[in-house]
Amino acid sequence: MAAQGIEQTGAQPTPPAAGYPSGGKAESTGSFSWTPYVFLAPYLLLFTVFIVVPAIFGLWISLHNWDYLLPEQPWVGLQNYVNLFTPGSPTAGFFWQSMEATGIFTLFSVPFLVIIPLLVALILNQSFRGRNFFRAMYFAPYVLGVAVVGVLWQYILNPGFGLINYYLGALGIGEGAVPWTTALPWAWISLVGMTVWWTLGFNAIIYLAGLQDINQELYEAAKVDGANRWQRFVNITIPGLRPVFLFVITVTILASANMFGQSYLVTDGAPANETRTAIMYIAEEGLENFRMGSAAAMSYILALFLALISILNFRFLNQKEED
Amino acid sequence: MAAAAKTEGRDAGGLARKLLSYAVLLLLTLIFVAPLLWMVSTSFKPNPETTALPLSWIPKTFSTEGYSTILNSSSQSPALLWFLNSMIAGLANTALILVTASMAAYALARMEFRGKRFLFAAIISTLFIPPIILLTPNYQIVDQFGWLDTLLAVIVPGAAGAFGVFFLRQFFLSLPKELEEAAMLDGANRYQIFFRIILPLSKAPLATLATLSFLTNWNDFLWPVYVLFTPGNLTLPPGLAILQGAYTTNYAVIMAGGVLASIPVLIVFIIAQRYIIQGVARSGLKG
Amino acid sequence: MGRRLTRREFLLAGAGAGAGLMVLGGCGASRDQAAAARTAAGGGARYTGPKVNLAFWNGFTGGDGPIMLELVNQFNSEHENIQVDMVTMMWAPDFYQKAPAAVAAGQGPNVAIMHVDRLGLNAARGVIIPLDGVVEALGLQESSFASTIWDAGVYEGKRYGIPLDTHPLGFYYNKAVMEEGGLDPNRPPQTRDEYMEALEELKGKDIQGSWVPPSLFTGWHMFTSLLWQFGGDLYNEDVTRATVNSDAGVEAMSWMVDLVKRGYSPKNVAQDGDVIALQNGQNAFNWNGIWMINVFGAVPELEWGVAPLPQIGTEKAAWANSHNFVIPNQPNPDPNKLRAAKVFIAWVIESSQKWAEGGQVPALNEVREGQAFEDLEWQPEFAKELPYVHFGPSAPGVTEINENILYTAVNEAVLLNEEPRAALDTAVERANKLLQQNQQKYGGY
Repeated sequence: MAAQGIEQTGAQPTPPAAGYPSGGKAESTGSFSWTPYVFLAPYLLLFTVFIVVPAIFGLWISLHNWDYLLPEQPWVGLQNYVNLFTPGSPTAGFFWQSMEATGIFTLFSVPFLVIIPLLVALILNQSFRGRNFFRAMYFAPYVLGVAVVGVLWQYILNPGFGLINYYLGALGIGEGAVPWTTALPWAWISLVGMTVWWTLGFNAIIYLAGLQDINQELYEAAKVDGANRWQRFVNITIPGLRPVFLFVITVTILASANMFGQSYLVTDGAPANETRTAIMYIAEEGLENFRMGSAAAMSYILALFLALISILNFRFLNQKEED
Repeated sequence: MAAAAKTEGRDAGGLARKLLSYAVLLLLTLIFVAPLLWMVSTSFKPNPETTALPLSWIPKTFSTEGYSTILNSSSQSPALLWFLNSMIAGLANTALILVTASMAAYALARMEFRGKRFLFAAIISTLFIPPIILLTPNYQIVDQFGWLDTLLAVIVPGAAGAFGVFFLRQFFLSLPKELEEAAMLDGANRYQIFFRIILPLSKAPLATLATLSFLTNWNDFLWPVYVLFTPGNLTLPPGLAILQGAYTTNYAVIMAGGVLASIPVLIVFIIAQRYIIQGVARSGLKG
Repeated sequence: MGRRLTRREFLLAGAGAGAGLMVLGGCGASRDQAAAARTAAGGGARYTGPKVNLAFWNGFTGGDGPIMLELVNQFNSEHENIQVDMVTMMWAPDFYQKAPAAVAAGQGPNVAIMHVDRLGLNAARGVIIPLDGVVEALGLQESSFASTIWDAGVYEGKRYGIPLDTHPLGFYYNKAVMEEGGLDPNRPPQTRDEYMEALEELKGKDIQGSWVPPSLFTGWHMFTSLLWQFGGDLYNEDVTRATVNSDAGVEAMSWMVDLVKRGYSPKNVAQDGDVIALQNGQNAFNWNGIWMINVFGAVPELEWGVAPLPQIGTEKAAWANSHNFVIPNQPNPDPNKLRAAKVFIAWVIESSQKWAEGGQVPALNEVREGQAFEDLEWQPEFAKELPYVHFGPSAPGVTEINENILYTAVNEAVLLNEEPRAALDTAVERANKLLQQNQQKYGGY
């Protein structure tokens, strides 16, 4: 495509009246041009095949009893969806348990992931030596993927010989080995804790950018008016960060609701599926139990929940801004 | 007099605050970096030492058996193959994204055509689709193409995401229109403008997108775990999962795998830190 | 300090099972012509084709992994033109998810091991091919194998697995603790009365003698053994309904739960808590699989023994599973690789004495009845159970129902969250719905 473009034209400047097939003038006067479509085509091809088609295909799958290795996929209509709301069906109990697990994780991780990074960003926002170094240190875990983070923390949290229990024991805290990965509520504490460690840097960076975006003159003016640190924080910083809050909270909620790797690698859903998140269960149902229709239905229900939460979130935070 | 005293008091308070800040920052750094150091340390221990108490940060016996086990390219855990696969997939996927997203973003930013608004809205709305609903159907689609258990499955579908388009479009919109208009007056067509003017000006966001895309692909976990199966065809993340399962308590091996998986991204991070952080920050502000 | 084992490491033996189509054969098979079989085997199973590489997948991530690897290496050194590459991943979820997926993508291994209760599902989905006639080609005969184990590898009238071993549940006891409780350490209880008496004695000395785990390993296996002992079964004959809530099931479950209620076991035993307690001298009896012999054996200063399961119910029974060799489906089967795979299978089965040392009961009569096996310290105890071991029905999807639905009843009841009958009824209701689905899906088995 690049080659085409350059060959088509010479390099000499000529007036547009010479009639180049895709000059800007031609576009704005409304005559048809292939150019936009040429530019869009490669991406649109990918987009259609791997996002639009699956989104619809998934719905189609959810209306069947679907195992791709079997010759036939019988139509079951809305049965997969109905099953999810029928107590006693093979999937309802596990599905809502996994939704609950996702809910618990989101509920506990989001506050930490929204507040602590803000505090870190506030500290980093002052100019001092070594600031970039610290910023890099806190962000570093984020570039590691969940696989590395998962296997590492599974080792550190091991009740018998993990680093955490080793130091707890050395400090004489608690009686005996804390079951970080095998019992509640410890498993939740582990999962939330390691997720905060892993992704705190990401949110901190965003807050930092937001803080730097706030007009410094506002602070100067407030100081002149005699406002103290706390007042400046509450009346300038917080309102100034409103748009960033929306972004951070939304992204964090979505990320937490999509949690998979941590449960898969560190607790494996233990104890007894209590920490098995919705994503984990959906993947299991579709790709390990070979009930893809049921899994697809579950994923749409989850998507609906997430959409709802995103909208509510948006409304709530946007409304506050308008006040 | 009173003013001077006030300033002094403020300075003392300022110093204390500074020290406190440094202390907190150092403590945080310790918390963030310590686990990574532990991973490296463990990878150089002989296996029995990794589960025996008391624990020590410095290996009592320095050993590379963890590394030799996984680098041995045995059929069991061909970590070098995993590394290679991850590298190929990451680079190919990044290239694909850069090419397709930049062109589409330019069209959306600067060209007029029927259905433009609708298309843009449709693309952006997919940012809110939870990836999970695409898991099963994409598995089937990829199967139909015969891509299962091949790198194509982890290269191509991942380039369909809307982030790249969104990100670059933002940037293109911020470029002064005069440049393009001048070029058009000179008779250049869109292709020329794109390749000769726009792209050269976009080095920074392209670098950012490239870095973020590479990182995302390198670390992708859920999808590769399910579309890659033969040990020789895995990328590092599913490879690590298998490693954890196959070597359950041989932590020297598992941590060696973790180190291997971390080195490239940490190198990329150190080099491209600025781009990554800028990219993350920008998406937060405009999004 | 004893190694703390995770559920994963125990997943050598997959899930529990039901009797279903099993015929309780006589003790072993009739003595066949061992010598003849040997010659036939040596003669029939030899590979003379071009050099081939065989991909061999299994889930031996525990202590038996290295033993199988040794066997594979030995095989490779003895066979110039066959190179077997062994790949190990956890049975669940990795192996049982990836193996079928790989087969579907045309990249399946050339030979693999599967648990006998998973054969039906994989056969129904076209993951593995029928092996009728393979046995003869191996120079072995039906009668070369213990009939209980042999019969289990059939689905819809076709054979899909060649058995390598069986790994039953056994009765472990800590001799020191028994002595402490005033019991004879060399006479572990074998009847219900003996068992209850022993527990009472131990209780009198403040020892909780029989910790009951609410977890899959081995609460589930303990329950199913008891279920069969009381004459019940997991499913009805055509596997269309779950029958664990029969009177036998309720009685079996109640006996287990009573152990907790009467104080012979603490409540809420943690994962592997019962094993660790036995190692630490706090627990006297543990119903666990044969795979534990190397685990307990590795604990220094632990005085222990193992015996067949005590008979608590009206008949003898013991849970067991079995590793079977299977040949996965290939889009373009290579006849040379197929031949080489058969040679490999035959060789390993005949060399299963080594395998037995890892904690297995070989399926091949000749090995199991050989002197070398008899000389092993603990394995023969498990072999005694052969006349009455139970496997799962080979119906597709039962493993999932066992482990995810029926097992929860055990969990709930042992944790005293629900009464046995209620827990079992709930589980049966859910199981029946899934069974119905499976029937439709797999076209009635």
